[in-house]
Order: sequence, then structure tokens, then C-alpha cells
Amino acid sequence: MKITDILTFYDKILIIFVIVLAFVLLIIPFYYFASTSEEAELILKVQQGDQVIKTVDLADSYREAVVFEVEGPIGTHIIEVNQGRVRVREAPAADPLKICEKTGWIDREGPIIVCVPNSLSLWLESTNSDIDGMSW
Amino acid sequence: MKKTRKIVVISLLISLGLVLHLVESFFPLSAVVPGAKLGLANIVSLIAISLFGFPTAFQVVIFRVVLGSLLAGTFMTINFYLSFSGGILSFILMYLAYYFLKDYLSLIGISIIGAVAHNTAQITAAYLIIANIGIFYYLPFLILLALPTGLGVGLVSYFTLKHLPFSITGGNL
Repeated sequence: MKITDILTFYDKILIIFVIVLAFVLLIIPFYYFASTSEEAELILKVQQGDQVIKTVDLADSYREAVVFEVEGPIGTHIIEVNQGRVRVREAPAADPLKICEKTGWIDREGPIIVCVPNSLSLWLESTNSDIDGMSW
Repeated sequence: MKKTRKIVVISLLISLGLVLHLVESFFPLSAVVPGAKLGLANIVSLIAISLFGFPTAFQVVIFRVVLGSLLAGTFMTINFYLSFSGGILSFILMYLAYYFLKDYLSLIGISIIGAVAHNTAQITAAYLIIANIGIFYYLPFLILLALPTGLGVGLVSYFTLKHLPFSITGGNL
């Protein structure tokens, strides 16, 4: 028995619709981050709740790694900035899924590290785009 | 179906769902896209929907989510609410799709709807908690991953239902 015997006509329409939807959603960040050039200075922003609690210049991380801790309702995160990359080195033990730790390194605009139980999010932002926005 | 037999089948489905829930945590899909998983437990939801209809299948889903979080030690934490919201929304959409579009969609299409709904609900719930719009960056990747996993889950439920004995299906499939 082949899979095409099971799939109906409307199944195929649904699959194509989902693929198109995913690609449309995929294109939006490409437009949004298109202005970022290779040499842009990146800064790390750490947000907890609805306020940014810490910013780190990635340029500071090339000589030696910047390691700091963030306290949250369920425990302490150890965050490492090294050679222009960022990761959560250690998630609190009370977080059973440890998704932020599994996300690994991020080194460009777009991807984001989240730890939902601690309402913590880390992302990179280029400093150039802000200056452009103001000077125009 | 007799009442006792029905209770036995329901509890079998719940325990199968729990085992599948534990098995899928062995596959580290979260390293590919954060928050991604296979959704194997959806097999049980689909089978319950096709066998029993709404009230009983809803019981199966609720018991599976609550007992699964008790076993994993995440009950009443934020992870529990995330998987609860995803589970309930995907179940309701799958049931509506099964009820109204049964003649048009096969189980594969229905399980793809459930997988996409599960991911969208989880991302939205996570957005409400961390209040950072950047989390929607992962939504298209999760939706794309929902296609192969939904396809696999739909196929498994299709063949399982086909090979169930008459005493369980009652011939009304």
C-alpha cells in the first residue's frame, strides 16, 4: 500500500498550505534583519519579565569570556559570552526541560534563547541599525 | 461496547499515551529547534477520537497530560501550562476537523492540523509569559517540522485503527 492511497486530495492541499504558510513566516525575519551587515557591532540583551535587565557588548568577549548569573523565580542561570557567541551554560536544576541550555550558541540576529519558566530571554541586536534610525 | 470493556480500553489508551510521552523525550529534537518534539502522544488522541468521540477522548487527553506531568515532575509549573494549552487546543481542533471534515481529510491531514495547532498554541503561551516577540522566530521552523511528525503520527494511527479487532472498534469506523 502506498501513502498516496491514504492521502486525500484535501490532505495535499492542506500540506501545501502549511508549507506556504511556513515560508511566508520565514521570509518576514529575513526582511527585518536584512540591513545587518557583517561588521555590525552586536550587543547581547537579557530580558526578564518585560524589562531589559542587562546588556553586554559582544566586542568585550573576544579577549576573555564574560560569564554572569541571572536570578529567576526557579533558580540561577549561568550565561556565557565567548568569542562573539552567547549561550546559557547552565540552566537551573528545577527546570526539567532545560530548553535554553539545549538551544546552544547563538551568534547573529534572529535566533533567541528563551527560558520560559524563568521568563528569561536573550537575543543579539546590532547597534548600527539604531544609529541609522536616529540619523535619518 | 460494554462499560467494563470501555473502561479497560480507555485506561489502556491513557497508559499508552504516557509511555509514548516518555519515549519521545529520548529524542532530543529540542537541539534542532527549541521546543520541538515528535508528538507521539497524539497517536493516542487520534485513536481515542475515532473510537469514542468527544467526551471520552477529552478524558484521555486530560488524564494523559496531568499524569504525564506528574511523572515528569512538572505538574503545576509553567511547562505544564505550556503543554496543557498545546494539548487542549490541538485536541479541540483535531476533533472539529474529524467531526466536520472527516469525508475530506484522512487521519494524516487531521494529525497535521493537530501538530501545527500544538506548536502555535505553545509559542503563543510562551510569548504571553516572556513578553518577547522574538520567540515567533521559531514558529515557521516548528510548523515545517510539524509536517513530517504529523504525517508519521497520522500514518501510525491509521494503521493501528485498521488492525484493531472488531471487539474494540465495534465495526463503526
